Amino acid sequence: MSVAQDDARYSAALLQIESWFIGRGWTPADFQREVWKHWRAGRSGLIHAPTGSGKTLAAWGGPVLAALARQAADPTPALPPPKRRGVSPRPLRVLWVTPLRALAADTHANIAQFAQDLGLNWRVLRRTGDSGSAERARLARGEADALVTTPESLSLMLSYADASERFAALQAVIVDEWHELLGSKRGVLLELALARLRGIATAGGGALRLWGVSATLGNLDGALDTLLGASGRGVIVHAKTPRATEIRSLLPATTARFPWAGHLGLSQLPQVLDALAAVRSTLLFTNTRAQAELWHQALTAVWTHEPETLALHHGSLDRVLRQRVENGLRDGALRCVVATSSLDLGVDFASVDQVIQIGSPKGIARLLQRAGRSRHRPGEASTVLCVPTHNLELVEIAAARRALAQGRIESRLPLRGCIDVLAQHLVTRALGGGFEPAQALAEARDTHAYCDLGASDWAATLQLIAQGGARLGAYPDFRKVVAAEDGRLVVDSKRIAHLHRLSIGTIVADGQIGVRWMQGGALGHIEETFLARLKPGDRFLFAGRTLELVRIRDLTAYVRSARGKPGAVPRWMGGRMPLSSELAGAMQEMLTECAPVEPEMRLAQPMLDLQRALSRVPAPAELLAERVDARDGEHLFVYPFAGRHAHEGLAALLAFRLAKLAPASFSYAVNDYGLVVSGRSLPELNAAALGNLLSTAQLAEDLAGSLNLAELARRKFREIARVAGLVFQGLPGRSKSMRQLTASSTLLFDVLTEHEPEHVLLRQAREEVLHGELDFERLQATLQRSARQSLHLLRPARLTPFAFPLWAEGIRGQLSSEDWLIRVRRMAERLEAGA
Amino acid sequence: MSETLAVDVAGERVLLDAARAVYWPARGVLLIADAHFGKAQLLRESGIALPEADTGGDLARLDDLIARHRPQQLLVLGDLVHGRTSANAQWIAAFAQWRGRHTSLHCSVVRGNHDRHLDAGGLGFESIAASQFEPPFVFAHEPHPDPRGYVLAGHIHPGVVLRERHAPKARLPVFWLRDASAVLPAFGRLTGLWPVAPGPGDRVIAVARDRLIRLPAGARQPA
Repeated sequence: MSVAQDDARYSAALLQIESWFIGRGWTPADFQREVWKHWRAGRSGLIHAPTGSGKTLAAWGGPVLAALARQAADPTPALPPPKRRGVSPRPLRVLWVTPLRALAADTHANIAQFAQDLGLNWRVLRRTGDSGSAERARLARGEADALVTTPESLSLMLSYADASERFAALQAVIVDEWHELLGSKRGVLLELALARLRGIATAGGGALRLWGVSATLGNLDGALDTLLGASGRGVIVHAKTPRATEIRSLLPATTARFPWAGHLGLSQLPQVLDALAAVRSTLLFTNTRAQAELWHQALTAVWTHEPETLALHHGSLDRVLRQRVENGLRDGALRCVVATSSLDLGVDFASVDQVIQIGSPKGIARLLQRAGRSRHRPGEASTVLCVPTHNLELVEIAAARRALAQGRIESRLPLRGCIDVLAQHLVTRALGGGFEPAQALAEARDTHAYCDLGASDWAATLQLIAQGGARLGAYPDFRKVVAAEDGRLVVDSKRIAHLHRLSIGTIVADGQIGVRWMQGGALGHIEETFLARLKPGDRFLFAGRTLELVRIRDLTAYVRSARGKPGAVPRWMGGRMPLSSELAGAMQEMLTECAPVEPEMRLAQPMLDLQRALSRVPAPAELLAERVDARDGEHLFVYPFAGRHAHEGLAALLAFRLAKLAPASFSYAVNDYGLVVSGRSLPELNAAALGNLLSTAQLAEDLAGSLNLAELARRKFREIARVAGLVFQGLPGRSKSMRQLTASSTLLFDVLTEHEPEHVLLRQAREEVLHGELDFERLQATLQRSARQSLHLLRPARLTPFAFPLWAEGIRGQLSSEDWLIRVRRMAERLEAGA
Repeated sequence: MSETLAVDVAGERVLLDAARAVYWPARGVLLIADAHFGKAQLLRESGIALPEADTGGDLARLDDLIARHRPQQLLVLGDLVHGRTSANAQWIAAFAQWRGRHTSLHCSVVRGNHDRHLDAGGLGFESIAASQFEPPFVFAHEPHPDPRGYVLAGHIHPGVVLRERHAPKARLPVFWLRDASAVLPAFGRLTGLWPVAPGPGDRVIAVARDRLIRLPAGARQPA
């Protein structure tokens, strides 16, 4: 086939696509054409585009164009003669990876329709955790040209013995919503899967194109590099004129005093109701699931007209309930849905008129994402209505608007060196035809996550899956992967293969218990620790209803509908995100500006004036500390504006260093703006002495001394053990034989600490605590910054507006050298007092 | 040395031992429940990397209990073993050695749901089919009420979760003493916990390492 002929066919295909666009009153956008051009040139890349901008067709158009041209050149294989069951095997050419199963259904429908409209003889299938056996069987018979799937299902497919044949003809992988996977272990798992697919392609003499689709991030270059792997090169294509986003606040009509603390925001209900009444449909975002339940409850009380048009959506609700809500949103049957991040991404809801955010979104990227969930008319800005819940949140919202205008968007840093994910992937590879260690190492090092994986970590990972651990003889009869005759590492036990496939993935639920109606029907799942505190007959709020616990049996809580006030609202782990550095920075700038123009800032002025009168409002180059001696004790407040995670470590550090000056027991509390250390009496400090307490010298040692890192690591180990295949998740509905294999990860942690303290996964747990949970880098940066800032240690006569919310957090985080047993006794005494 | 606590149960004085056992002095009977021997072995055979650590520790704890109370009889209230493991597994050799050191001790086991494949005779144990009545007690695996007497049982691995703001949770096994039955904590180290919701009038005694802590009856745990 000549180049000229090929070009002609391609041009014809392009014309076909253009007329498809024109038929709908559109024209292909510049960025779409650009992506198609890069695709034709065989390049890989990243499409930077917001939801609803045509990103799907930008990514999908490339392979469709190529296929149309190929079909025109060689029409014979088009709709080949029916063989068995009507369809003959065909090679899988394009893989579309999406982070959400719910999204997979919509994407699948869209891209299949597009291919069909253009007369392309492609069969597009979908494979997710929801797929039935029929669809999986069609896939196994090789009936798909393109496949929509999730990272977990892709990993699962790689665990089948014929994985290399299945993917041998693969030409491209498209990763949708890549920003959502970046920075998580799911992303790392996908990086490894992509490296495997590149390996298969290279072995077959081909090359794989990789395209990612991402929303706005501070580090798009990093996102591209991570997607393509260590050896990959690619381009970034920006969608022109990304839709402007307008951030507005829902402010109380009167200038009545705004609350100083609190984050539920229910005091703003009247304004929110007015906003809801003004449009046909609203998405109301909250930051936590408990907050969503409470807002839904508050709205239900006044939503007497058409109660069926109000709904609740969060990640703990049953899939069927969530789908019902999503459908209701799509067809416009619902007027208001209270949601958490479970609706942050995914399906476009064309019929949503308005997005409301309760409280601060804590980050600009997240706010952008949420703003984009409403209906957008071309050329119009998307709007998000923020509802501040307390005084400082007024400043936060104004700061978010400023940061957005200046393009200061958060980065999402990809994870590196997670041994647990590597161990899981290697067992997957051992199942999927087996692997030769040197080749698997080369493949792993071709990812961003493991590009500098050391030889000793690699050896430890292999030991982990081959002999259990590093200590020879300590793991009798352990078997997971074994060496075959040709030296390849394989899995030769059906049982181990089955267990591994059941636990592929990195999403770890925290001891979940299913919630079901007595008369049948699932409502969702709740953390076991919450239910353990309830007795039969107790009422609680869940899924937007007041429920009464009837009994708990076989990892399922049976409930019935109840009337009256619920006793408790479940709280889920890992609720609140810390304030991002970008937002915190903008906030500090806003604070000291005179002559405020922003409406939020005007409303915040009385509070800021009082702060100024009592103490000081710190400029970005200043660090404010306040010492208040009150009847309930002496308090030292510090306001680094570094987010709650970093403050947590900082507060513990400060308490520890204070205790070295004057041995005593201190407590601390934190929020996103600052921290307080309190005690019956605090040592006298001047600014210089406080500066010394905030030094970076011996930071790691003092942190280790100040926090019970071992206990934190033990908690972290849960997820690691699960990902690495050391424990199996006890899920509702799992078989008895599966439950026989449950070992608690804390027991495992203790046994390993005792018998193999240098275990590679224990080390990983310690590192993840330090760098993830405590945000060590940000903590260190905060201390370094404080050394450059001018430190103002003031003694206000009473609690300032900045101090009050911290003080109100109450006496928390008792820090003392008391041992574990005393603590347990004290907890028991407190039980007594509460009885 | 682990702490013991004398309590009255169904009119009898028994000793709760923080080594997760009950001793009944009047009859010289040492009771444990849910030992789950061989669990680590079973897990390893299924591809879960767990060092061989539990058997030795659990047997040493039994040795201590025997030295402390000098019982004539050891009665296991079900789930002596975790499941079927290969006959030449390491834990079986260690167990046989332990049995050899206590030849004069009469050992029996009330079969539990995990003991389906238990070769009691092979381990030097007498096997009791369902439950055994020794007034005033009924020894059983599952704590169902029994008209004959007060039930001493295991099976549910009772525990509590104690929490405090800003501090990691403490999960502790407990003795759960109720009106008609008492449930022992699981003896085996590699066993899980089931958080129980004690009713008013229940006595709950938690095991914190080698100490025993009485918990208030019917207390609601603070959120």
